[in-house]
Amino acid sequence: MRIIVYLGTGGVGKTSVAASTAMAVAKTGARAMVLTTDPALRLRTALGLVEGVPEQRVPLDDPKAGELWAGLLDVRATLNEAVRLYAKPEMRERILKHSIYETIANSLAGMQELMAIERIDQLRLRGFDTIIVDTAPSRHAFEILDKPALFADFSSSRKVKLVGRTYKFAAGLGLNFIGSKALDIYSRAESILGVNLVREILDFYSIFYPIAEGYARRAEKTVALLRDPAVTEFRVVTTPQKAMRDAAFFTEALAERNFAIGTFCVNRAWLHPFPDTLPGGLEGELLRWYKSVSDSHREAVWQLREKFGSVVRDIQVFSELERDVDGLAALERLAVQMHLNEPAIVP
Amino acid sequence: MDPQARIMVVCGKGGVGKTTLSLALGLKHANQGKRVVIVSSHPVPELAIAVSLEGIATRFPEAARNLFVVHLDPRELLQEIVEQNFPVQMVAQAILNSSIFKNLIEVAPGLKEFYFLARLQMLAERKGTAARTTSPDYDVLIWDAPASGHFLATLRSARAFEKFLTGPLASAGREMNRFFSNSAHMQILAVTPLEEMAIAETTEMSESLDREFHLHCNALILNMVSPLATATEHEVKQIKLREDSSPALRFAVDRGELERDRKAELSVAITAPQICVPRIREWGGDLDLLSKVGEWLDITSGEVMAQA
Repeated sequence: MRIIVYLGTGGVGKTSVAASTAMAVAKTGARAMVLTTDPALRLRTALGLVEGVPEQRVPLDDPKAGELWAGLLDVRATLNEAVRLYAKPEMRERILKHSIYETIANSLAGMQELMAIERIDQLRLRGFDTIIVDTAPSRHAFEILDKPALFADFSSSRKVKLVGRTYKFAAGLGLNFIGSKALDIYSRAESILGVNLVREILDFYSIFYPIAEGYARRAEKTVALLRDPAVTEFRVVTTPQKAMRDAAFFTEALAERNFAIGTFCVNRAWLHPFPDTLPGGLEGELLRWYKSVSDSHREAVWQLREKFGSVVRDIQVFSELERDVDGLAALERLAVQMHLNEPAIVP
Repeated sequence: MDPQARIMVVCGKGGVGKTTLSLALGLKHANQGKRVVIVSSHPVPELAIAVSLEGIATRFPEAARNLFVVHLDPRELLQEIVEQNFPVQMVAQAILNSSIFKNLIEVAPGLKEFYFLARLQMLAERKGTAARTTSPDYDVLIWDAPASGHFLATLRSARAFEKFLTGPLASAGREMNRFFSNSAHMQILAVTPLEEMAIAETTEMSESLDREFHLHCNALILNMVSPLATATEHEVKQIKLREDSSPALRFAVDRGELERDRKAELSVAITAPQICVPRIREWGGDLDLLSKVGEWLDITSGEVMAQA
């Protein structure tokens, strides 16, 4: 099995690159799934992802092709599925109707990444060869790596469990029976965060922790796969304008977490052939403008190769399409520009 | 309207140039002698990868004296609150270092956003905090907002607290919700390039702002547009593609025409003055870029000047 994780800042075309990678992989005969959070409307339509359809097989008119699937990372659906799969029947309703659950499912930043981890595990069990993950823009990009550990820590921390259980136990008895050090901190937290909020959270976790524990176990397995270079490749999508800064930022941020970048994908490059002589008027102005942008793109790609060529396994450059990525045809145009690296060989 | 409490909110999809435009706008005002505070919700390393103000003291000494980029880290805000509540440092530290407290903050939905908003409101109302009693003195307050989804989630956090809690946090939430749902306090400057995804997201964002918070776009900043986006119909007609036209020209014309169509669609979808900022051709460094971009931004906290 292979996992490709795409990282990048906003507006670089990450989703298109991820989807066309899935297409390129499927065309080699494999069964590929691209998991995305928020595709553009037309891309969403092309992939057949409509509201309420968490995943969809995309038809390819190539008899030798394998399967191309597109999945929407819907926090609520994935979370509901986890509750359905792993909660005791009598707890299900209480969890699903809890106000904290409501808020978590609706808004919690970073929840998408937690759910991506859960989905990777589900997809692995269902026999997908290649899973391509399109992460949220940089602000939360690393939550896919950081959040599971944090969450596992939370749900396995004895103190929290103690408070969770004690609270549940104490709810009927009155809180004054408890005098542990953990509770002391808990009550101090209460006075700062507001009594209701803390109680709601603890109450929620007291019924949710079996699911959280199960999640943490599965997340541990999945994160191990993400850590295995023979399985997972991290790719950074950038644009010529952002290339050097993104390269520096992501290389460092990933190195801090002991991951390595496999490939830089420089997307939306303007590299069209340019005429030798320039006309006057607006046409000339337009061409001069194009050339100045194009020159800076070439320069940026050159600099990136100079400085980061030896740091990553591959640097790939994709030219910007004439029209915005539109439908499967556009994904195909990107897919043919792409080469798929085999997973790294682990000594 | 109390112009004193007005926040210029630079918002839009991720990667459209919000930080660059916030800084360009800030630099411009600061260079005119106004004291400017730019509030960023980006983590510091990310802000650093966007654009840099390095060398500002030599190149724009006037601006350097007047421009302040403030990073509001919700974790630090919470720390401040703990320290206020527990003046004994050892106790405060014990709480801050306890894994229970750290975890509660991480898992409490919207809590970080809630505290961010609380601090922003204090800044807008020129109130100091217990730790810093002097209120910051400024003329222009700019919020370099997070990408639209997270921006809306941040605004919603006040409402979420109002909705599912009672007690002091809920009333704080109600008060904050009222403040941020008031267009007298929020000057919405939506940034978008003339591209499908960004436009769709900007339109959705604008609808949400209107529906949920009664906020309307005060200006649309069309960023990184081509020379064709601002040309007249007559000028555009002069360009004729021939059999032997170069691929570069074909691409540029195709893109320019697309942008013109988008610009027209956008003026139907969102009623707000449009300000075009061209993709700047030659610039030496970041400060150069910022001052060039600033030339296009005729925006004061009171009004948006129509573009000639």
